[in-house]
Amino acid sequence: MERLGVFLCTGCGIGEALKVDALASTAGELGAATCTTHPCLCSPEGVATIRAAFEDGTIGGALVAACSPLAKSTEFRFDPAKCAVERVSLREQCAWSHPAGDEDTQVLADDLVRMGYARLAKTNLPKPIAETIERTVLVVGGGVAGLAAARAAAEMGHPVVVVESGDHLGGHVAKLSHLVPDRPPYDTLQPNRIADLIAAVTSKPDVRVYTSAKIRSITGQPGQFHVEIDTPSGGHTLMAGAVVQATGSRPFDAGKLGHLGYGASPNVVTASRLDEMLAGGGVTRPTDGKLPGRIVFVQCAGSRDPQHLPYCSADCCGTTLRQVAQIHQAHPEVETAVIYRDMRTPGQIERFYAAVQQQPGSMFTRGEVASISGNGTLVVHLKDSLLGDDVELQADLVVLATGAVPNSADGEAIRTFRDATKRSQTAESETQRDEARKIAEQFAAHEGTEILNLGYRQGPDLPTLRQGFPDSHFICFPYETRRTGIYAAGSLRAPMDSVQATEDGFGAAMKAVQCINAAGRSEAVHPRSGDIGTPDFFLQRCTQCKRCTEECPFGTLNEDEKGTPQLNILRCRRCGICMGACPERIISFPDYSVDAVASMIKATSVPEDYEEKPRIIALICENDALPALDAAAARRIQWNPWVRVIPIRCLGSTNIVWIADSLSRGIDGVVLIGCKYGDDYQCHYVRGSELAHTRLGNVQETLQRLALEKERIRVVELSHDEFERIPAILDEFCKEVVDLGPNPLKGF
Amino acid sequence: MAAIPSLAPSLPAREALLRRGAANVGRCYQCATCSSVCELAPAEAPFPRRLVLLAQWGLVDRLAADPAVWLCHQCNDCTVRCPRDARPGDVVGAVRSLVIEKLAFPGFLGRLVGAARVSWPLLLALPVLFWVALLSWTGHLAVPAGIEANWAYEDLVPHRYIYAVFFPVAAWVLLAAVVSGTRFWKLIGSSGQRQGSLLGNLLPVLTGVATHDRFAKCTAAKPRRLGHLTLLWGFVGAAVTSGLLIVGIYVQHLEMPLALAHPYKILGNVSMALLLVGIALLVGNRLGDAKVAGASSAFDTFFLSLVVLVVLTGTAVELVRLAGDADLGRTLYVLHLGVVMSLFLTFPYSKFAHMLYRTLALVHARMTGIDMPKQ
Repeated sequence: MERLGVFLCTGCGIGEALKVDALASTAGELGAATCTTHPCLCSPEGVATIRAAFEDGTIGGALVAACSPLAKSTEFRFDPAKCAVERVSLREQCAWSHPAGDEDTQVLADDLVRMGYARLAKTNLPKPIAETIERTVLVVGGGVAGLAAARAAAEMGHPVVVVESGDHLGGHVAKLSHLVPDRPPYDTLQPNRIADLIAAVTSKPDVRVYTSAKIRSITGQPGQFHVEIDTPSGGHTLMAGAVVQATGSRPFDAGKLGHLGYGASPNVVTASRLDEMLAGGGVTRPTDGKLPGRIVFVQCAGSRDPQHLPYCSADCCGTTLRQVAQIHQAHPEVETAVIYRDMRTPGQIERFYAAVQQQPGSMFTRGEVASISGNGTLVVHLKDSLLGDDVELQADLVVLATGAVPNSADGEAIRTFRDATKRSQTAESETQRDEARKIAEQFAAHEGTEILNLGYRQGPDLPTLRQGFPDSHFICFPYETRRTGIYAAGSLRAPMDSVQATEDGFGAAMKAVQCINAAGRSEAVHPRSGDIGTPDFFLQRCTQCKRCTEECPFGTLNEDEKGTPQLNILRCRRCGICMGACPERIISFPDYSVDAVASMIKATSVPEDYEEKPRIIALICENDALPALDAAAARRIQWNPWVRVIPIRCLGSTNIVWIADSLSRGIDGVVLIGCKYGDDYQCHYVRGSELAHTRLGNVQETLQRLALEKERIRVVELSHDEFERIPAILDEFCKEVVDLGPNPLKGF
Repeated sequence: MAAIPSLAPSLPAREALLRRGAANVGRCYQCATCSSVCELAPAEAPFPRRLVLLAQWGLVDRLAADPAVWLCHQCNDCTVRCPRDARPGDVVGAVRSLVIEKLAFPGFLGRLVGAARVSWPLLLALPVLFWVALLSWTGHLAVPAGIEANWAYEDLVPHRYIYAVFFPVAAWVLLAAVVSGTRFWKLIGSSGQRQGSLLGNLLPVLTGVATHDRFAKCTAAKPRRLGHLTLLWGFVGAAVTSGLLIVGIYVQHLEMPLALAHPYKILGNVSMALLLVGIALLVGNRLGDAKVAGASSAFDTFFLSLVVLVVLTGTAVELVRLAGDADLGRTLYVLHLGVVMSLFLTFPYSKFAHMLYRTLALVHARMTGIDMPKQ
């Protein structure tokens, strides 16, 4: 980018803290086409100054040296296809966090302007993509969540295709006569209205439903998914813009619950079997066909059990309450006893729970079922009962409230199986083939479990996180998965009941529609919503190392035969993890590249007189760590002025060359602050933070070989709300770097 | 190893409790708010949570052997604070009525009074009809001709008939109370090792009853405590007056009716005033906040109504004599004798029996040391 304008704001305390004139002369020294100082740059007049400079052709890029890039983002947004803008955080990183008028503060501000200028100089304008976008939403699974998603998408004006593997719509719920109440006063059984939902979906003109159907393949990318479906009437091909996977859950295999008497006596049945009885000929005791006098329900059968399902299945307590209510409605003379560890009745189900408890024949008691024995009349042995001792309870029928297992496929495991199978035949040495055979055996259970059959390098289905639930940012972005444009909903995503699943389907449909609309505008989706810059791969220099295709958290890249990456731009979330991975440094974004950040590092002043001024580079994730830093500044928390902050898209986009550049320039230490990683990760790009930790671990080993202290590099995990930790992290690191002494490469 | 108790949650027992006012017993989810807020619950053996749990299972035998049932005054501090509206106070109240019936001697009378919801007309009418029959047989049903203006009730019903009826009735009630009390004493004995003598511990318990010191710890039911205390002292005063009158008639040979300024008369009238204030407070409490008052089961209402009838007919009997209407006086007097007899006869089987069981439970609690209130 050429013809850069520098716009310095003196508002919000910047003018008082810094000699802005000096910064203006720096801009002149750097060769800025124009330099303007304004008392309130975000005011309409201030913004008009910048806009006028763009419009009259004075500048092609603006360096806005004012507040943090996270502040005033609407004011300083110009047409991204025509105007390059770089923000320098004089307010948060200088005026608010360092002593006013101090020499170090002025040097810091000067550095920040130089760094921002260097980055802007390396920024190019994006070339917007123009693709034809399909607006159809494909819903996989026709249960409650899928139907809710289909209805929502159709009502938002999108064509919908529902693919259901069973022979009817409505899933498990369709088989029930009554449901847990979902409307006031929430205390009586509610007739099942699933037929209304089915009718609402099927009556829409632009909704197509395929039952007894399966997905043969999904290829392409958001806005352009090419879908092949197998149905009893033959194959169908269609295009879809986004996918909602709502394939639901199935009951936990009660065969594994021998300790609860399942299999030993026919009078121990599962909740789903009881539902069949309630829907069919009535509740009877399997051994004699008579109405049972006392029915004992055992909650958490398989759930919250480290041996089986470590999680709460969320729906079983409500199911049991409904079944108890149905039984008392038909047979007030039957006694029911529910044995629970904790009844979990969130929201309004609590009212239903209280109403069911008031039935004369219903009892709820806490206890742990030690065993269930007997054949005709069963003896339920409770330990740790509230009565203070072990207790035996007789029952004519025992109902196990079995947990729910998601109907998911583990895309990564399936791929591992496929790759290993292939290698076991094609690998060069016998040892390699043996090894591959072992892996294939280990993952053999995943053979043929495909659901979506995605044509993705990283596997044919959504990656799962734990217990078979597809990866999802549970708290912040619930419907997100690791495949752009494919959203998980319902009990596939997390254990939930049908009321929650309805909301879930709606939420996932909103995300699907949002994704299609963003694709139509050539924009990235969350978290860099609105970004129109696309990564550029300089493939002539690609060595087919496959790091980018392996490490992309969203499966953006496929591979050709040789292993060269093939970009599917509409799957890309612009995190730059591929850029951080590439050893050849051939991947770059118009406004974010290895070269741009390296230039920022080069623009940093490194005093040779070390005793006074060490230099630290802080690579800070723009998603959580940067807001935390800004929050610290907003509270006027101060930190060490030797630190130069470079905001980056994700810790995973850190290219190792930046560390090498920093150290060879004489920078004394580099700290990287990113999101928490692991099972409860907070990384907006799922794996970026974790990958950075692995890569930096390798770098530290290299440093030691070069006789540099590995302590000069530090990677820190920080969550969004931990702004109070930031000064301690930076100050402590600076202190340790001082203790290490000057970077031996300084001055070379 | 002790054998594992085999329990059956009992639908009939639960239904019996539901009928007796524990309608919400099932709603309890054992959060123990009730035990935490109860000012009377001992720290080491808190209630009423435990009692509600036993009631949910319908384990009446265990409830009958639990002295905690009677340490509760149903002030309803728990019911007011229960997050789930399970009304623990009502549950324990229902349990008490069930235990009274279970320990009754003879059992059929317990069941008869226990079914007050349907049997109340019988329980009231039989004693009244008995008096009508007795007086008509002995020729005292009619007001004697030429009765003087300053008539006394002995002119209408000679005292000998009253003695002839009420001394045996009292003896019978005492027998029934002793039998039931002994059963109860044995049952609760398993809940702790007693030390000291029954009589030695009875005196401090009665002192406490006289001041309602335990009841004073309850916050939700302050007005009810005052009503209950007033009523108690009204009854004590009335009983003392009756004793003094026997002395007055047969030792001092006083002329009846006594003048209003006579000390015995003053004592009697003050007692009557206390009784009137007491029932007014208690009835007012019943008509107020249902949570503070507790459930009004037929069992409760029967007893309270009986007390109200005794006090009101008693008051009316005196007022009518002062007005001089002998015909109306005779009618009211017969009615009064009938309801007093009903109160006496149902004592071991009605809510009145709490006097017996609560006193015993308090003595037991003192002797076992379980009644150490929370700090």
